[in-house]
Amino acid sequence: MEPVKLVAGVLDKQIVDSNKRHAGKVDGLVIVLRKGKPPRVGYIEIGTAVLARRFSKRLERWVIAIGRRFGVRQEPRYRVPWSKVKKVAIDVQLDFDASDTPALAWERWLRDHVVGKAPFAR
Amino acid sequence: MKNKFVQIALGILTGIGGYLEVGSIATSAEAGASFGYSLIWAIVLGTICLIFLIEMSGRLAATSHHTIADAVRERFGFRFAVIPSSAELIVNLLVLAAEIGGVCLALKLVTGIEVRVWAAPVVLFLWFALWVGTLDVIENSTSILGLVTVAFVVAAVKMHPDYAQVARSIVPSLPHHDPAHYWFTAVSILGATISPYMFVFYSSGAVEERWSVKDLGMNRATAAIGMTFGAVMASAVLVVSAHVFHPLHITVDRYEQIAVVLTPALHKYGLPLFAISLGVCCFGACVEVALATTYGIAQTFGWMWGEDKKPAERTRFSVTYTLIILVAMVVLLTGIDPLKLTVMAMALTALILPLVVFPFVVLLNDETYVHGHRNGPIGNAVVIVTIFLASIIAIVTIPLQIVGD
Repeated sequence: MEPVKLVAGVLDKQIVDSNKRHAGKVDGLVIVLRKGKPPRVGYIEIGTAVLARRFSKRLERWVIAIGRRFGVRQEPRYRVPWSKVKKVAIDVQLDFDASDTPALAWERWLRDHVVGKAPFAR
Repeated sequence: MKNKFVQIALGILTGIGGYLEVGSIATSAEAGASFGYSLIWAIVLGTICLIFLIEMSGRLAATSHHTIADAVRERFGFRFAVIPSSAELIVNLLVLAAEIGGVCLALKLVTGIEVRVWAAPVVLFLWFALWVGTLDVIENSTSILGLVTVAFVVAAVKMHPDYAQVARSIVPSLPHHDPAHYWFTAVSILGATISPYMFVFYSSGAVEERWSVKDLGMNRATAAIGMTFGAVMASAVLVVSAHVFHPLHITVDRYEQIAVVLTPALHKYGLPLFAISLGVCCFGACVEVALATTYGIAQTFGWMWGEDKKPAERTRFSVTYTLIILVAMVVLLTGIDPLKLTVMAMALTALILPLVVFPFVVLLNDETYVHGHRNGPIGNAVVIVTIFLASIIAIVTIPLQIVGD
């Protein structure tokens, strides 16, 4: 892989899965520190809580609490291992289908409970 | 693949349709009634700025394959992107409420039934069009029906305007009376003309249609010709209003007054033509504002977006526009005077222009996005000077207007 700039070139980019489905943005990046070895990019993170953390810890706590009460995601943040990133170009391309992952949990929930029940939706 | 000529023609038609809406009609009519021809410069200045901005949003899409919202978040980060996005969301909700009000008003002119009664049926119809329709169908039908607005040009010509005086009014002048109202009206015209929703909408369409560098010439032609036609229509509204209301010292306080503006020139056809023009233009604008606002949110959060897929395949997208038009309906139903709502929404648009436009202009000067198709100094200067000027006038005159009321 060519060298990529993490903040300028990956953070806040569109994420696209193997079916070209938009699966959120790179809301956060996780760097893993390793003893005696250089740090490594571990995961990309997706989720409102990750975004809230970029403003303040308090906002993050609120978002997590609201998410527990009303959300449909199991976890406040969804981590995708960097090894699943196929390519970083205009978008960050993943090498798997995201439709059953937490990244598209809201899309699924709305389809099953709201939109799918409305007329002319399919 | 559509052929190039059809594509440009449709682009131009959409441009005209996108330009003339309740904001331009109301602000131009008000300007003509209160100040004769003298505010034509605001339409001209706004349009020059708009042409540059529309061209830039098409160029950004063609060279970087990014929509504006995508690129702003990527380049400036989420923490920054939230600020222009929220400002735009709030203003767009007011603009959408005004446009829905415009459709309701057109129906009132034809039927005599009150605006508030029409709000729910109009919103339901709008929602249904978005839910079931595809963008091509909605856009092309409103654009072609929108040609009825030529009625304003016909009426303006029939009133034998003083063309030399009209031409002189292209140069800005100082007011002879009522300066606060003059500048407020000027800034409302600028806000009505330079509508951020238009270029958000345009850039999303360009990305969806996968424009490339080959489309840059077509993009330039569409922006320049389409918007110029739009400006001619808006100027015609101003001229007609100047002839009908200004000599009688009638200031426009209610939409019902504007409605008779075509009657002296077009007689019994005047009122129905005004109603159809208003209804069609505002409905087209409703579609654009509702979608542009939803595009902005969906692209900021990275959801699937696009009007041409079934709602079940774009659930967050379709639920969001549903909520947006419901909120706009509630704003309209609070009973705010529809004309005041429109003019204020346009002035607020002008106020937030620097927030929305400045980051966008930075992107158009960033090689990593536009790859050798950067802005020239003239484009940069025109846009930056106009938006800051508009915003400063808005900061000064909006409080005066509120106190004045």
